[in-house]
Amino acid sequence: MLIIENLTKVYDNGLVALDNLSLEIPDGQFVSIIGLSGSGKSTLLRCINRLIEPTKGRIIWNGLDITAATDDELRGIRRRIGMIFQQFNLVKRSSVLTNVVSGRLGYMNPIFSLVNYVPAQEKTRALAALERVGIGDRAYNSASALSGGQQQRVGIARALMQEPEMMLADEPVASLDPATSHSVMKYLELLNKDDGITILCSLHFLSLARAYADRVIALKDGRLQFDGLPKDIDNDRFKAIYGEDAVEVEIH
Amino acid sequence: MTPKKPATAQRSLRRLIWIIVFAVILIIFSYGWTVTDIDLSVPQQPQRQINVGNALRELLSPAVFTQEYEVTVSTTTFTIGCPEDFTPPEVTPVDGPYIVVEPACADANELVTINGYNFAGDQLARLNWIDESGERRIRQVVGRDEDNFVTRDDGTFSVQVEVPRIRGSIGQVHTIEAQGRVPSGAPELSATTGLVFEKMLETIFLALIATTVSILPAAILSFFAAYNLMRTVRTPMGNLLVNLALLPLGFVLGAVLLGALGRLTLTIGAGGETSTAALSGLFGLASVASARSMRTSETNGTTHMLRAILNALLMGIGALAIIGLLGGLALLFGRIATQGILVYLGTFIGSIGQLIELALPLIAGVVGAFTLSSIGGTLTRDLLKTVSTSMSHVLGALLGGICGALLLAMTAMLGSLAAWVGLFTPVAAAGLGGSILPQLYRRFVPKPLEPSRTDGLIMTLLGWLGAIAAFVVTYSVLNVQRAVVEGSLPSGRVAFSVAGFDVTLYMLDALLIGLVLGALAGGFAGTKSSFPIGNVLYTSTRTLLNALRSIEPLIMGLVFVIWVGIGPFAGVLALALHSVASLGKLYSEQVENIDNGPIEALLSTGANRLQTIMYAVVPQIIPPYIAFTMYRWDINVRMSTIIGFVGGGGIGFLLQQQINLLRYRDAGVAVLAIAIVVSALDYASAFIRERYT
Repeated sequence: MLIIENLTKVYDNGLVALDNLSLEIPDGQFVSIIGLSGSGKSTLLRCINRLIEPTKGRIIWNGLDITAATDDELRGIRRRIGMIFQQFNLVKRSSVLTNVVSGRLGYMNPIFSLVNYVPAQEKTRALAALERVGIGDRAYNSASALSGGQQQRVGIARALMQEPEMMLADEPVASLDPATSHSVMKYLELLNKDDGITILCSLHFLSLARAYADRVIALKDGRLQFDGLPKDIDNDRFKAIYGEDAVEVEIH
Repeated sequence: MTPKKPATAQRSLRRLIWIIVFAVILIIFSYGWTVTDIDLSVPQQPQRQINVGNALRELLSPAVFTQEYEVTVSTTTFTIGCPEDFTPPEVTPVDGPYIVVEPACADANELVTINGYNFAGDQLARLNWIDESGERRIRQVVGRDEDNFVTRDDGTFSVQVEVPRIRGSIGQVHTIEAQGRVPSGAPELSATTGLVFEKMLETIFLALIATTVSILPAAILSFFAAYNLMRTVRTPMGNLLVNLALLPLGFVLGAVLLGALGRLTLTIGAGGETSTAALSGLFGLASVASARSMRTSETNGTTHMLRAILNALLMGIGALAIIGLLGGLALLFGRIATQGILVYLGTFIGSIGQLIELALPLIAGVVGAFTLSSIGGTLTRDLLKTVSTSMSHVLGALLGGICGALLLAMTAMLGSLAAWVGLFTPVAAAGLGGSILPQLYRRFVPKPLEPSRTDGLIMTLLGWLGAIAAFVVTYSVLNVQRAVVEGSLPSGRVAFSVAGFDVTLYMLDALLIGLVLGALAGGFAGTKSSFPIGNVLYTSTRTLLNALRSIEPLIMGLVFVIWVGIGPFAGVLALALHSVASLGKLYSEQVENIDNGPIEALLSTGANRLQTIMYAVVPQIIPPYIAFTMYRWDINVRMSTIIGFVGGGGIGFLLQQQINLLRYRDAGVAVLAIAIVVSALDYASAFIRERYT
């Protein structure tokens, strides 16, 4: 259970990205966060694992107060929360395998990283994760040699190495074409259904949210605009979220 | 009001401003012209033109080659003053070279013509005048600046010389000698070339060693000087203060206890007893390994705490045992490797062993400091987390006082070394004082949610006010004025001694000021506030690098020559120090240019800072680091050609000697060698940089 209480984030330049937001997300849900650019989707996701420090409010996950955690505790929490990104955030020059293994660093001795040593069982685990997202054969390619969809799957494999209980996905398909988008979303769906991983996924397209999410949270100017089932978003609600001039486009 | 009028006025005002700006720039530039002594008449003076022409001609005729010659000598007689009974000597043409003088007698200062036959064609020859006593003088040919002249292609020559005026020589018969020469064998490289080659090699290696030695420190510093890495690093004030307060104690304990352990394993290693050495190596590895197996899990509580403490202790002990053993083995290797090519290796590894031996107390101190502050951090973490707000301020005042006192006492200790270094104390005090008033203000006026310009301004003003006040108070209490003006050190009167360490009154004063300022700053902040440690490290590393970079290696060379004597070692040290600063800056800019996405991704997986740097930063910066290291080597070769001018060894030393001895042809060889090596390296480094970026 993830409980967000009165979360507020004000950036140094005065921009209020999140305004007194409160949410409860039970374990195992596939939650889609929608909203215009700048509505606070990325800020919300990054506040949950404190890549961005919240200004006010509390985030409590399975009884742990994430907002009050010390650095050590925070690392312990973070390694149980996977995250994937719009720009994939892979190290392009490193091999796919190294990128995936780096998802396991939270469990490894920091001294190992100095001598570039990776225990054999972690390599096996990484290969298994790559198999799972269907690119086991690309393990020894450099990450830059992969297509966008493949890179995002490497990102998922990296997150899988953490054995996460929750997955934050920050517009994971915004840089991908529609067909690839669906294949990436399908993997997220698989993790949700098979492994019971809670998924918080911000999306641009409502149609994707309708296809995959159990629940849709819509943000507007950092405030909660809508929280409910995807099918409950009718035309009026759509216009409330995206503005009067918006037209819903389908992505197949 | 018509809209045109102000526009015109504005335009003419702008024009006027431009004219004024232009005039000011012109004046500044003309002043610069005068200051730099630019005088176009000087380079036109005939004597100067001749001099520069000569110097350039010699520089452009480098003495790269030498040639062996076979010298042929032909003589004829000459009578001075033409006595009455004079009969010119019979000249019979022969097959070999011979000369004829016409007339065969003349008075002093008269011109005579000397014709030569059967000499080697188009070769240098010269004339000697030998008087009756057998003294031989070179006779310059009329119309030549040099001692020699060139024979015609057919091997003949016809030159005029003046009959020398030699006292009491009338009627004497002198000998005129013509030395012709024929090249024998192929031209060879001259002795100068050999010397230059040797020195050039020394120069290249000087630059190579200076560059390689600087890579690691520069790379480490570059991470601290990279804004994108350091900006986000913050630490709770309480933990920071606990760590800082324990650092000096840890240093002393480490230097004594761990230092003794390191010295023991070093002696074992150097002794060469295989079994004991292996045993102590195993001991070190076992300590590290058991520390590793005990790595912190997520469980909190006493067991976790004990484990973390034991972990830190074992790591420290293991590290020192291994470092000491390695140092000892290096010393041992240096002692036994004395044969053949192993000599170089032995010297090299042996001096690394010496370095470890010398640095052992320092290493042990640093390891001890970090071990103790890590233990302290573990012990106090839970306490600091659960402490109440009011208690956190009390604790903050206590710890802040200790840290402030330590900080100022330490700067005062430095200030006792050199007068102007004493300025560190007021500056550090200003740093502490600057944080007091803004925090006091924050007590009463909470931070506005919307950023406000007035609020920021007030905070800045208060900060400066406090900083200046703290500076002035410290400056006057410690009488830094006297040190700055007179250049005299503060008095060394001892207040009390702790374990053989003398605390001077000066340090005690600084300590008390630090105690007050630190307690105030720490007390207002409280242990729970977060301290931007990253920003502080970033700023201080940047300042250090910039300061070091602004000192030319030539000046550093001067100091190192005093320290380690004239020779390439001084040059290596000077260039290495400068390279650390310069590479550190260049590297850090590369770190700032990387894609920050992977850093964010790895932090989100729960990796710590070190792991994030090794996995997300290092792979991205390797190509530019290689490129910049090559570039730096290139610069260092150029610099090491002149570091010799201050005694730093290499080719510059030779070049300076040659120039001082006015041997411009030899200097030309050195200049040529520098030009070749520098441009070759320039191409090579450009090529490699292109390959890797």
